[in-house]
Amino acid sequence: MAASRRNTSQRLTLVILLLASITVITVAYKGEARHAVTSVRNAAADVVSPLQRGIAAVLHPVGNFFAGMADYGGALSENQRLQLEVGQLRRQLVEASQAQAQLDQIKAEERIPFADGIPEVLAQVISSPASNFDVTVEIDRGTSNGVGVGMPVVSGAGLVGSVISAGGSTAVVQLVTDPRSEVGVRFGSGNVALAQGQGEGNPLALQDVSETAVTYRGAPVLTSGLDVAAYPSGIPVGTVSKVRHPGGSLTSQVSVSPYVNVSELQYLAVLQWLPPA
Amino acid sequence: MWARFALIAFGAAIVQVGLLNQVVVAGAHADAFLLLAISAGLVAGPQRGAAMAFVLGLVADVFVQTPYGLSSLCYVLIAFAAGLATSALPGRPSFGFKLAAALLGGIGGSLLFAGLGVLIGQPSVPLHDLAVVAVVVSAGCVLFAALGFWLFEWTVAVVPGSHHDAGAYASGSAR
Repeated sequence: MAASRRNTSQRLTLVILLLASITVITVAYKGEARHAVTSVRNAAADVVSPLQRGIAAVLHPVGNFFAGMADYGGALSENQRLQLEVGQLRRQLVEASQAQAQLDQIKAEERIPFADGIPEVLAQVISSPASNFDVTVEIDRGTSNGVGVGMPVVSGAGLVGSVISAGGSTAVVQLVTDPRSEVGVRFGSGNVALAQGQGEGNPLALQDVSETAVTYRGAPVLTSGLDVAAYPSGIPVGTVSKVRHPGGSLTSQVSVSPYVNVSELQYLAVLQWLPPA
Repeated sequence: MWARFALIAFGAAIVQVGLLNQVVVAGAHADAFLLLAISAGLVAGPQRGAAMAFVLGLVADVFVQTPYGLSSLCYVLIAFAAGLATSALPGRPSFGFKLAAALLGGIGGSLLFAGLGVLIGQPSVPLHDLAVVAVVVSAGCVLFAALGFWLFEWTVAVVPGSHHDAGAYASGSAR
């Protein structure tokens, strides 16, 4: 009898707690409650950011050590690949100097938005994703430094992502590899598509690429800046790494390797540019 | 008891955000809140353990970008399961049992979080990434299991003769 009452009580508690959790998820999903949750999250991030900065400075080498241990074989092959790339890059440097001269001429004639002096805020990454299911990083600049939600974030190599949340002194950047991230891109000879993240360490997937679209491995992929795009035009995103034409399908499967190694980000720049309303 | 619990929740937030998030192994990091949820269920029993796990989830969700409340939903289920498993034992759980609970709770918690996330419209996580997260999180749970369980024994045992929750082996009168 007592055991039965206890079981009933346990089940009732479980049901109440599950309903409470579902209610919280539902209420916090949109509207005023969502704003409140975002405000609390931003405030909490601001409070703990000094601690994060200090510990990040000490622990970056430790984190790299463990990451290296976990992927020693990968590090060896990565080293060999990088040595090959150094040789290729030296050759490309010579070619690039010639191309630069041509580019300077083109720039003089045509406005290129990405190279057109968008103001930027330099920032340091102070925290990796707080959840294993987020593909975000936290930076040490916020609204007091001119950083706002929706602003694109770049590194020297290309597009990193965009700001999805900004507190007074910190902000959260959603990386392009986040499965919720979609970037309008152009590639090849006038093709446009949406590049969707596939998780950290995975290439981006181009959506709805026509089978007739002409592209090739190594083709550069840039932000398109079309219509109400979330990014200005011309930011380098990556290169085409794989093209597949599934039999019977009218679309091609195109993968893009991002230029930016998002797992090793330390410094980046927030472009003070907002998408058109 | 609840003051000590609040102290543990606050400490967990500091450790998670300041320390564990920075030590990333193969793209994933340990989850202090999940370990505490497992410990809560195991030590305080299914009812109080699940209630504590609910609160831990609310605190954990302040520091992430996933939907608010998702961690609570996941932790409640994990803590309740851990509490039920413990209540089925004839006496106090052995250390081996606690480690097994930490291991299985770590794996189950990671998979459950990803699964519940998909149910409420979050993007699915590639299987390979999910496996890595489950391994790293469960390894973290096993590594710090003794500390997590000790913290909850300290928390729950503060009120002598308090309500004896089913399955709790340290519910105030156990010491």
